[in-house]
Amino acid sequence: MVVAASACGNHSAKPAEKPNLPPVAAETPIELPNIPSSLKVTKSAPIDGDTPSARSPLLNIMKAENDRAMVELRAKAEPAHYLAYQLVEQRQVRLEAEGGALINDDDDTDRNLDVEVRVGTAELDNTRQLSDDNGLNAPLTRPGVVPFGADPFAISNALWLETDRRYNESAQALGYVRQDLSTLSKRSEVPDFSSDQREVYVEAPATLTFDKKLWIERMKRCSAKALRGHATRGSCGVTFKLTTAWFVNSEGSQIQQSWTSAQLNVSAGVKADDGMNLSRLEQRFGRTPDDLPNDAAIDEVIKTVNTDLDALHAAPLADPYVGPAILEGRAAGVFFHEVFGHRIEGHRQKDDTSGQTFAAQVGHDIAPPWLSVYDDATIQTANAMQLNGFYRFDDEGVRARRVELVTAGKLVGFLLGRNPIEGFPRSNGHGRRSPGLPPVSRQGNLVVEASKSVERTQLEKLLLEEVKKQNRPYGMVFTDISGGFTNTSAFAPQAFKVNPVMAYRIYPDGRRELVRGIDIGGTPLVALQSIRAASREVETFNGVCGAESGWVPVSASAPSLLIEKLEVEKSFIPPDRPPLMDAPSIRQTASSKTQETAQ
Amino acid sequence: MKRVLASVLLGAGLLVGNVGGAHAKRMLAPDVVPSSQAITKDIVDAVQEEMKRAMNNLQIPGAPKPYSISYKITEVEVNDAVASLGYSTSKKSRHFVSLEARVRVGSVNFDNGNFVVPGGDDIDAVSTVTLPLEATPRIARRAAWLATDSAYKEALIQLRAKMESRKAGGVGRADVPAWTEQKKLESDTQIAVPVLETVAELEARAKALSAEFRGAPHIRDSRVAVTSYLERRWYLTTEGTSVTDTRRASGVLITASSQANDGQALAQHFLRYGHTAKDLPSDQELKDEAKKISDLLHNQAKAPLVGRYVGPVLFEGEGAVGFVRQTLAPHLGGTPLPEGLRPQDAKQFGGALTEKVGLRVAANMLTFTDDPTASAAFGKALIGGYKIDDEGTPAQRVTMVKDGKLLTLLTSRTPSQRDAVSNGHARRTADGGAFHGSATNLFISAKGGLSAPALKAKLIASARNEGLGYGLLIKRFDDAAITSAPEFSRHELLNMLQTTDQALPPPALVAYKVYPNGKEELVRGVQLAELPIRTWKDVIAAGNTPFVYNYLAPSESFISLRIGGGTDNGNVPSGGIESAIITPDLLVGEIEVRTSTVGQRPVPAVARPTVPTP
Repeated sequence: MVVAASACGNHSAKPAEKPNLPPVAAETPIELPNIPSSLKVTKSAPIDGDTPSARSPLLNIMKAENDRAMVELRAKAEPAHYLAYQLVEQRQVRLEAEGGALINDDDDTDRNLDVEVRVGTAELDNTRQLSDDNGLNAPLTRPGVVPFGADPFAISNALWLETDRRYNESAQALGYVRQDLSTLSKRSEVPDFSSDQREVYVEAPATLTFDKKLWIERMKRCSAKALRGHATRGSCGVTFKLTTAWFVNSEGSQIQQSWTSAQLNVSAGVKADDGMNLSRLEQRFGRTPDDLPNDAAIDEVIKTVNTDLDALHAAPLADPYVGPAILEGRAAGVFFHEVFGHRIEGHRQKDDTSGQTFAAQVGHDIAPPWLSVYDDATIQTANAMQLNGFYRFDDEGVRARRVELVTAGKLVGFLLGRNPIEGFPRSNGHGRRSPGLPPVSRQGNLVVEASKSVERTQLEKLLLEEVKKQNRPYGMVFTDISGGFTNTSAFAPQAFKVNPVMAYRIYPDGRRELVRGIDIGGTPLVALQSIRAASREVETFNGVCGAESGWVPVSASAPSLLIEKLEVEKSFIPPDRPPLMDAPSIRQTASSKTQETAQ
Repeated sequence: MKRVLASVLLGAGLLVGNVGGAHAKRMLAPDVVPSSQAITKDIVDAVQEEMKRAMNNLQIPGAPKPYSISYKITEVEVNDAVASLGYSTSKKSRHFVSLEARVRVGSVNFDNGNFVVPGGDDIDAVSTVTLPLEATPRIARRAAWLATDSAYKEALIQLRAKMESRKAGGVGRADVPAWTEQKKLESDTQIAVPVLETVAELEARAKALSAEFRGAPHIRDSRVAVTSYLERRWYLTTEGTSVTDTRRASGVLITASSQANDGQALAQHFLRYGHTAKDLPSDQELKDEAKKISDLLHNQAKAPLVGRYVGPVLFEGEGAVGFVRQTLAPHLGGTPLPEGLRPQDAKQFGGALTEKVGLRVAANMLTFTDDPTASAAFGKALIGGYKIDDEGTPAQRVTMVKDGKLLTLLTSRTPSQRDAVSNGHARRTADGGAFHGSATNLFISAKGGLSAPALKAKLIASARNEGLGYGLLIKRFDDAAITSAPEFSRHELLNMLQTTDQALPPPALVAYKVYPNGKEELVRGVQLAELPIRTWKDVIAAGNTPFVYNYLAPSESFISLRIGGGTDNGNVPSGGIESAIITPDLLVGEIEVRTSTVGQRPVPAVARPTVPTP
């Protein structure tokens, strides 16, 4: 996952042998009290706040053009069976300061169009994956440029232009699909597309308000404080967005959604003496700028970043390790997002080039019986924290909803867009993308639940018992994971790697030692079956996840987890040296003394 | 105020040339951009202090210290607006500041410069960092510290790789120094330039002009983009040079696309730059140009494909500019190609004249001069001018070819022969990090130029001599930097990438067959064969009226821009090297022409939305 800069998912490959797992049976089961982990959520149903009076004329223009186009496209020799338009207008304000000085002050608004034209039938259309995965039928998607305003001709012309290009491309792609099928001995009977109910929903336009001057000063103060101690880089930035999305499809859906979002980044970095790039990034998210931390809370964030960075700078490199470990709440959330979440995305179960880790595991035990996992994009807050993965309708015009993925240890479902898979013929509202890319099934708000749990302090005691049992010199605790990747391609091992930022050795005497230079690696099935206990407290990770359909906001909530055996590898450390000279002292610059004192 | 400004402008060489009085008055607008708030004397002092510290102390034990460090600080402000069919599609205001550090290790006789590290194209001893938008010496100095450190480490790797390459028989010449020393220059006078047009002003203009296409049912897509930008630069070197320069430009771009009756995609554009919006055509003139584009596309829809042709070709106006730009401009640099550059990349980069100094390379009537000190010519603004080049060397007027004979080339501080020095033309870069000599205000002049009718008569006569029924006239070439964003499918792009011969010039966008009776027939699909530098010897006549054209020379190739989408958002390009070509029409004796049928598409699957009644 997750955080900007991490690669989520890696995809391609051949049919894999279906694993035949025995039921999960812990080698060393731990008795846990029947007290569930605790997560208080607030939710909003997709149709909450429907305000028909706030309907934009854009929806009418899009509907009229969609209807007009489909009359003709349905009658073609290669008929279209589905046409969807999504128009996304986004204002993005970015203010960033480095070391006390403003380095970015951007305020841009773009309006982009995505058109999807499916040619053929729902059973077989242009999107069918070719057997050798050469991409000949892949579309050239792009964020089409559309005029602002609501002039019927200007808007309709832009819709028509992109529809024409995409229709021709889809018709050509269907030719490749048919050619490919003619060479195969067997073909999938699973349809390429699932239709859905007509949705009409209008959300009133959101407004973005903020005091720019105040935020600039705040970021300057913040970054001046962040550039301290060992840091050679200290920056603070905010990104405020106002997004309005209009969706119309040939099923008659007309959806207008509008929301704001706000993000604060505080980061500091330095190169360690051995060449390792050390950095600490703390992010906070909210619906509006007012949801972000105030000055006092920002100071706390800076303190965490600076303290951690200085500690990392002094921390020793760790050696490879296999043994018991605790993934603390946020780290456990990221871990589940990477190790489990990406593999449960429905389209990967259909992709012949994907490892299809869970394709044949429906109804089978894949985790301890006290553990359940679901994804629910209708959750707005969890433990009073705004969740990034909240939305009302996905990017394919389907309602968001709660999807059970693992119930009492058994795999029961997948995340689905409009690309059905065997046994799961309908979308469950997880078709997502960033503008300019085709949507695929993606996570929203992933939630890991435990029906049995212990206090966090008790979890650490259990860890030390495991250390003793396994005769290890120490156990490990991971409190922050920056991201990672998971390979889902059948051409490579079905392995994951996640990158811990804050990793500690916990010795039998309770001593805690920060270490660095390691990654957590492993395979998903083993990792899930190694979970032994969970904490009552649940933490949430908010972030953005990048995969083949672009960057989408997500969250992952999980209790802290005790893993019986976790494998830790040495991470890549570039052989660079730190800066050869000491940082310059501004006191040598006579003309700049005022600046320095001001900091 | 006006007097002060005039003297500053003259000092900067921005009013040299044949600017008329009225034009000069327009340039002396009272509203000038205030001094930079980001780069002040404090910032320059801070960076210079760090430069001194690095020269004294920056060293890995056992490795050579830097013998030269230079910084280029660049501050850019850009306002852009784009509109289609009367409505905005984009409006942006951007402001950013960067510091680029360059470090040389070794000595002037042999150093790390101008060498492509095998497998390490990005190792070039150059490091760029962002600077604050408001003067903050502490951060500027810290930025210089980190950028210099990074550039120095790369310089050491580059030097080692270059030494090993030479041992293994690399192409470098041991008798040619790696670098030329230069006297220091000092001037902290900031150049005053007129303020940028506001985004609101640009948007209003783009919207009004783009509405001209609303009544044209044959136009598929159309956009009008306008831009206004300025670039301030500061050059600091360990030789003691500390100078500043400022460039200011405004531009307008009109693009439209259509489809021929046989399905071939059609596109046209109109592009103009000047120092400010006042140098651009008037609103009415631009509306006329939009109408001309619309009419041209309407006529091209039914125009025939050119067919096979080998014979004389007349390049007129923008067509002559395109001919100069594609076949001559890339070869006028005298900086040696980077050692280690892949042959296919070297061919793209130019350099066909480097071994021909002293020889005849063009028709006797032709003289080529590059004059970056000029700000205008023949009443038109030139944007290719500058006071100081990218290595801190003062700009110089250089005549490269006189009466067809190659006298010299445009040079940077990386020499191609012993005793060569920079003549102030370091502008474009290549892999390996060195600046290369480049033409920016390129003047082509011809003795005995003919009038337009006489030139056409000569075209017809030449064609007749070859037994041809017509001659070919080219008025415009494609420019992927501004006409991309076409309606390609992914399949088409892949096919283009695999099959395009990158040695060919871009397709001609406006071409006519000219018959003996003077009739001009519009044709499509004109693709010229490869035009080697020797084609310039075959120029058999030229016009007597120079055409002035400004553009930004991109660093990417035509095919890269096409594949990558160029200015996909429709903006006027604001990246690339500000350039101008001033040339008469040119008649070449024999060129091979092929018919291009690329871009064949089905007719629209759905009829275009009904054009509203005005």
